[in-house]
Amino acid sequence: MSIEETTVHHHAHHFASADDEFEAAKQGMWIFLVTEVLMFGGLFVAYAIFRGLYPEMFHAAHQHLAVNMGATNTVVLITSSLTMALAVSSTQKGKRDHAIIYLVLTLLAACCFLVIKYFEYTHKFHDGLLPGGLFTNTELKDPKSPLFFSLYFMMTGLHGIHVLIGMGVITWILRRTVRHEFSPGYYTPVELVGFYWHFVDLVWIYLFPLLYLVG
Amino acid sequence: MGSNTQKQHHHILSTKVALMIGGTLLVLTAVTVGVAHIDLGHFNFFIAMAVATCKALLVALFFMNLIHDRPENGMIFATSFLFLAIFVILTSTDLFFRGDVYVKGPLMAAVQTQSKWAKPWISTPELVAHGKELYSVQCVACHGVEGKGNGPAASALTPRPRNFTATEGWKKGRKPTMVFQVLRDGLPPSAMASYATLPPDDRWALTHFVLSLAPQPEVDTPADFVKGNINTNPVGGGEKIARTISIGQAMAQMAIPRSPSDENAHLDHPKFDRISEAVQASNPGARLYEEHCVRCHGAKGEGGIKVHALGVYPVAYVTTSAFKSSSENLKSIQAFIHFVTLGLPGELMPGYGQLSASEWKDLYQFIQNR
Ligand code: HEC
Ligand code: HEC
Repeated sequence: MSIEETTVHHHAHHFASADDEFEAAKQGMWIFLVTEVLMFGGLFVAYAIFRGLYPEMFHAAHQHLAVNMGATNTVVLITSSLTMALAVSSTQKGKRDHAIIYLVLTLLAACCFLVIKYFEYTHKFHDGLLPGGLFTNTELKDPKSPLFFSLYFMMTGLHGIHVLIGMGVITWILRRTVRHEFSPGYYTPVELVGFYWHFVDLVWIYLFPLLYLVG
Repeated sequence: MGSNTQKQHHHILSTKVALMIGGTLLVLTAVTVGVAHIDLGHFNFFIAMAVATCKALLVALFFMNLIHDRPENGMIFATSFLFLAIFVILTSTDLFFRGDVYVKGPLMAAVQTQSKWAKPWISTPELVAHGKELYSVQCVACHGVEGKGNGPAASALTPRPRNFTATEGWKKGRKPTMVFQVLRDGLPPSAMASYATLPPDDRWALTHFVLSLAPQPEVDTPADFVKGNINTNPVGGGEKIARTISIGQAMAQMAIPRSPSDENAHLDHPKFDRISEAVQASNPGARLYEEHCVRCHGAKGEGGIKVHALGVYPVAYVTTSAFKSSSENLKSIQAFIHFVTLGLPGELMPGYGQLSASEWKDLYQFIQNR
């Protein structure tokens, strides 16, 4: 008996087949992502409103964000999305070793993203560019400037939490991959974690231009 | 293994396609960053959003494999963006266009025209009926359907909302002018807020309805009107004139640029010159100006004084600007009276409706000469 056979996945008894189970799980994931869109949606609406009300303030405040770091982070996240996609296809093709490498690369990219974010945040803290009443910066004259940084920290913070959770679930599937739990016959968790990770990338694809570029 | 495995008909993303998509995404990122450095005005925003949407589509279609997924999954995901669009569009249209509708629409007209009732402070069945309608929308949450002070929100409040069916326990009193004052000023610090945003007619109607709920009504004396600072001039329905302004106008006023030098001005105790006693004695306009306007506009109408606009954090201030004869509001005495009677919302500029025709003329002339 090979290891694959000892750890083979049995679909739950209320599904007619493994295919059904896979499709149901996937649809569940899509529905979950819908709720995520709506959660971030609230923040995007707040952004739209305040940007519409105070365009000059947004313009002045957004110039205090580090475009270089934001752009680097975009590249990092896109690369991690690519490695994640490759990890999924490697698992589907049964190339376990490749899958492990790609998952590790994805994790490294996620770490890199957070390290860059850490430097960005410390810089903001240092300059007093903080949300609401914590705002102490004196360069930005507009008394409404703290609003921009409230939005900045809320949006990138919520996204950062998603990155952290993503790292958690990627670690989980990495561990299961190492333990031979996936095969071309069963890879549902890998694919669904992939969805989640691509979604995190999707959010950033909008956050980056909205906050750093067009402010 | 039979039915325990997934069949092999799921599409697998080829490495070549994955790399192509990844490459395209990186190129598109470079494009947005590049374009952002060129100033194209509003187009910058649309280009950035268009590129981001292209990138998002690539990720969703290929990395998330929607292109080969069942169509309903794509629909589910797309629907969320539809709802997001509704969310964004409806909220912003309300915010950005409500002001215009408000100015042109009947509400603004209602504020400026005469009271519908010759003497709204005297109860009539129509006023009570109108008040009942308003009550069921504005007041039931706290005061309850029957006015017993037991609405759904009441249990959370201390002091409890007033029981209108009782003759006891009224703080201000049970005369119409007294209830009218409560609706105008609220009863701070209780949950009973000011309803000064409702036109005076509506507040009188509410007053009469509320008072119709208890037996033995009390009647106003002329002295009560004086005490409550309510004048019985039919224009404005027993109140000077409603201080209402469209949101668009208010926003425009708040967006008046501040000069960088006034950052250190002592915000809550602005300094301004006074007008000398002698000038005041010889010029009635100067006296009115000194009494009502100097604290915000300065002795020479030079402005530059910080005025509290909103109490919310961050506290917003507006710095008054110098009077300019070219301003819409100073071009003619009609425009001037119109602007000053309405005032500006919040704490910006109170409305002044109590001046006589000759006082308006004096004040206008005085400001013209500054
Ligand atoms: C958020 C809850 C709330 C709403 C809504 C509300 N009230 Fe009140 N109201 C109160 C409370 C609480 C008191 C008692 C305040 C006190 O005793 O200091 C009160 C007291 C009053 C009084 C008594 C004044 C007095 O002299 O004692 C009147 C009159 C009144 N409300 C009228 C109205 C009318 C008319 C409306 C609708 C336009 C309304 N209220 C809406 C909470 C509310
Ligand atoms: C509490 C402060 C305050 C008081 C008191 C006040 N104003 Fe104003 N006024 C403002 C503010 C704020 C503005 C809007 C900013 C600006 O245009 O300078 C304004 C604007 C105006 C304008 C429009 C100016 C323009 O260029 O369009 C006129 C006219 C005016 N006020 C007249 C008066 C008169 C007359 C009085 C006295 C009866 C008065 N104000 C009292 C705060 C005040």
